[in-house]
Amino acid sequence: MRWLRRLWNKSQTEKRLDSELQFHLEQQIAGYVASGLPPEEARRRAHLEFGGVERFKEECREARWENHLEILARDFRIAFRGLIRDRHFALIAIFALALGIGASTAIFSVVENALLEPFPYKDSRHMVTIRLHDQDRADHWRGAFLFPEIQDMSKQNHVFDGIVANLEDDIVYSAGDGNLSLACNYVTRGTFEFFGVPPFLGRSLEAADYQPGAVPVFVMRHATWVAKFNSDPALIARTFILNGVPRTLVGIEAPRFAWGGADLWIPRGPEEPRVLREGDYPQHWGVVAHLRRGVSVAEATADLTVIAQRLSAVYPKEYPKHFAMEVLPFGYAVLPPQFRRSLYIFLAAVGLLLLIGCSNVANLLLVRATAREREFAVRAALGASRFRLVRQLLAESFLLAICGAVLGIFLASAGVKILAAVIPQFTIASETVIEMNGTVLLFALLVGVGTVFLFGLFPALQASRCNLNDSLRDTGKGVSGTTGRTALRHAVIVMEVALSLTLLFTAGLFMRSFVALQDVPLGFRADHILTARIPLPTERYKTAAQLISFYRPLLARLKSVPGVASAAETSALPPYGGARSEVEVAGKPHSEGWDTLFQLCSENYFSVLRIQFVDGRPFNEDEVNDARKVAVINQTFRHRYFGNENPIGRRIHLPELKQFPDPVNEPWFEIIGVVADARNRGLQEPLWPEAWIPYSVTGSYMRGILVRTTSEPKSLINAVGREIWTTDPGVAMAQPETLEFFLDLFTFAQPRFGLWLVTIFASIGLVLVTIGVYGVIAYSTSRRTHEIGIRMALGAARTDVLKMVIRKGLQLLLAGIVMGLAVSLLLSRVIVSQLWGVSPYDRLIYAAVAGLLLLVGLIACWIPARRATHVNPVTALRYE
Amino acid sequence: MAQEKAEFLKGTLDMLILKVVAPGPIHGYAISQRIQQISRDFFQVPQGSLYPALHRLEERGWVEADWKNTATGREAKFYKLTRAGRKQLETELVNWERLTDAVALILRTAG
Repeated sequence: MRWLRRLWNKSQTEKRLDSELQFHLEQQIAGYVASGLPPEEARRRAHLEFGGVERFKEECREARWENHLEILARDFRIAFRGLIRDRHFALIAIFALALGIGASTAIFSVVENALLEPFPYKDSRHMVTIRLHDQDRADHWRGAFLFPEIQDMSKQNHVFDGIVANLEDDIVYSAGDGNLSLACNYVTRGTFEFFGVPPFLGRSLEAADYQPGAVPVFVMRHATWVAKFNSDPALIARTFILNGVPRTLVGIEAPRFAWGGADLWIPRGPEEPRVLREGDYPQHWGVVAHLRRGVSVAEATADLTVIAQRLSAVYPKEYPKHFAMEVLPFGYAVLPPQFRRSLYIFLAAVGLLLLIGCSNVANLLLVRATAREREFAVRAALGASRFRLVRQLLAESFLLAICGAVLGIFLASAGVKILAAVIPQFTIASETVIEMNGTVLLFALLVGVGTVFLFGLFPALQASRCNLNDSLRDTGKGVSGTTGRTALRHAVIVMEVALSLTLLFTAGLFMRSFVALQDVPLGFRADHILTARIPLPTERYKTAAQLISFYRPLLARLKSVPGVASAAETSALPPYGGARSEVEVAGKPHSEGWDTLFQLCSENYFSVLRIQFVDGRPFNEDEVNDARKVAVINQTFRHRYFGNENPIGRRIHLPELKQFPDPVNEPWFEIIGVVADARNRGLQEPLWPEAWIPYSVTGSYMRGILVRTTSEPKSLINAVGREIWTTDPGVAMAQPETLEFFLDLFTFAQPRFGLWLVTIFASIGLVLVTIGVYGVIAYSTSRRTHEIGIRMALGAARTDVLKMVIRKGLQLLLAGIVMGLAVSLLLSRVIVSQLWGVSPYDRLIYAAVAGLLLLVGLIACWIPARRATHVNPVTALRYE
Repeated sequence: MAQEKAEFLKGTLDMLILKVVAPGPIHGYAISQRIQQISRDFFQVPQGSLYPALHRLEERGWVEADWKNTATGREAKFYKLTRAGRKQLETELVNWERLTDAVALILRTAG
């Protein structure tokens, strides 16, 4: 254990070495005295002989193992001191590194979780959904199938090793004191085995649950259990009254299980009688299948097409004349392609950011290396081996890298948390959990740390290669650095500026797009409106008369609720129009197909939404209650199908109404009014012709209410719920929310999130470039202090010096800006194709980003330039 | 001549130290004295070579050291051979003899 003692007791070891040598010296002196020399002479001779004690003490030390540790510690100490001395440099480098690592890891984690591995299900990469495309009509798809169709697909296909289906429905849970509307999915046998996620509590649905005559059971989603049932574990095995039927809860699914976005899953065997929801509409089920090993999407499509050809003969009403089967990845329906694309933009942006961050660090290290060229030449001349120099630089790089990496990890984890919190609802699959991705973090760390080590070692390689004489002769007072390296440094800065400009330009486009979106006139007022869907039990609400018996008293009651200004029935949620139909106008034959949107609403619809009438009038109460065939159209309808003619009193035909489960005979409607255009296909799509007819003409179709309030709409949720309950105790409203909330959620949330993200990128990029420019200019200026001193001593004015320093920076900035503008121009078409309402040649954006970058860059140059002008020539001349 | 001696010493110093340490505990100064005496002043081991060599041998485990009082009551570091050191000494002696025999043979017979 001596070695250990030696390590802990280093001073003891040193003392021992001293006293051993001291003893020798004394013996020597004593020897000389004994041989007859006078003491003074003996002492002198002995000391002379002993020579450089320190040198061979060092040799003794080097013979010992703990010495290596000690050298290592010394290297770190020196490195640490060096970094403290150059703390501006160190802080900037660490910050740049951490930002690059943190931002890229955070964003990449989001992309990875949201796009590449969004689902917790077993082998979800090979899960697909199926849809049918009407090839005669561009945007007509059918993504759901009749149960017998699915059974046939399941039996006849050669490409899947599993196929399950779900049917969405609203369910009313009758608790003692009121009703709760829950989203339910009927699921087919094998669903839970298919997804392969074990339940959180209790059990999942099993084969026996699907048998005819089995005890009615269901399972619940974890999030619903937490939000609506207080995470009560005693809920298991309790019986719930769902749509009037008692069912036993047997399990709570895993937190990430969210198939179909349902609150509850109920087993459905094919033999069970149909649960009727929308009158006698044939029920269409969503389908998920799992591709057999080695089967490609193209093969699956071909196989399904054969089956679909057969099915189209059996169910001719379900298949258009020309159709194609499409096999899509499972997540397709959940992740809107728009968001998918913008995530890729962000991914590219993040790559740029990491690049800027790393090149910043590289540049700073290069600048520092140039400044230390002489230091290393001196050390090499004094006999420091190349290994020793490398080791010390390694220590320095190691310290920088560790600090940057730790801070980077911290930023990454904070960033992931923030991003996960601000990602708009419904833009990613509800199964998705956003968390930090270890692999990505590792990658970013490797890139960042690799950069530090690569460029950190530069001075050592330089020092051992270059001619010592040259470096020593270069006093470091002149214009610094060799030309080659200066050029490299400048190239890095130019590239950084160009990349940053590209980021800023992208942010500019996002901002323009968002502003354009916000500037779209809605055509209605979304404030102070409460809205809710009201799913009515189909057994009791099939006909128009039954529907009126619910809505007429309800609307009357709502009007008397304090805080309610007016209320209306609606069949759609603005800014989206309702159903779609072909349309005929009496006396106007046409060859091409005419389409319109149409809504089923009550008389107050227009006043609740504050939609302006340009001509004619709204329905009156009698017209609605008697289900008269009258209609209101919008301006687009009038312009497209009537031109300059007066539409009032003309008649239109909506044949789609004949197809409803509760059909309308002779659906010809007389136009009594024309309203100003209000957005009916979202804010970004062009308006469609639209018609409104009394809701009372048919009992079919999902309906809801719009309530204009005089106070905060959400404060009225309970009051409105009570009126619904009073009207029919078996009914509950689903998703009561403000119209503004939905408008924001479906229209603004995603673009805002995109803008937010890209602005953060651009800001971080700008910060990085600023410190990059500042770092390089400041360092090279400080290296030129001597030169500046001479110039000022020779009579140069402050402004001359200022100009000289800024000119250099300006050259780099302008080169970078020109390059960045060129790159932006090239990229703009790609980016613009992902955005709405912007042109790739928006001069304002180009000017704004170039100006911003120039301004910030000049400030970054101006600070060191100003400092240089305040140099006292005398000090500067002495400056080493 | 001094230069040549130094070169010669460099190659053999470890062996000489081991040999001198072999009889029993001995301190650094005595080692240098004994080498000088026995070689009849041919070798004068400079401290700058002796102590690094001693520390090296100690690190390799061929000698071990103890702090003891000398005859005059002064505390000094005494070195003695370890078992590994004794083995090392034997190998080095064998090697040395082979080397000198070979050199002598060449000198006697060649030319």
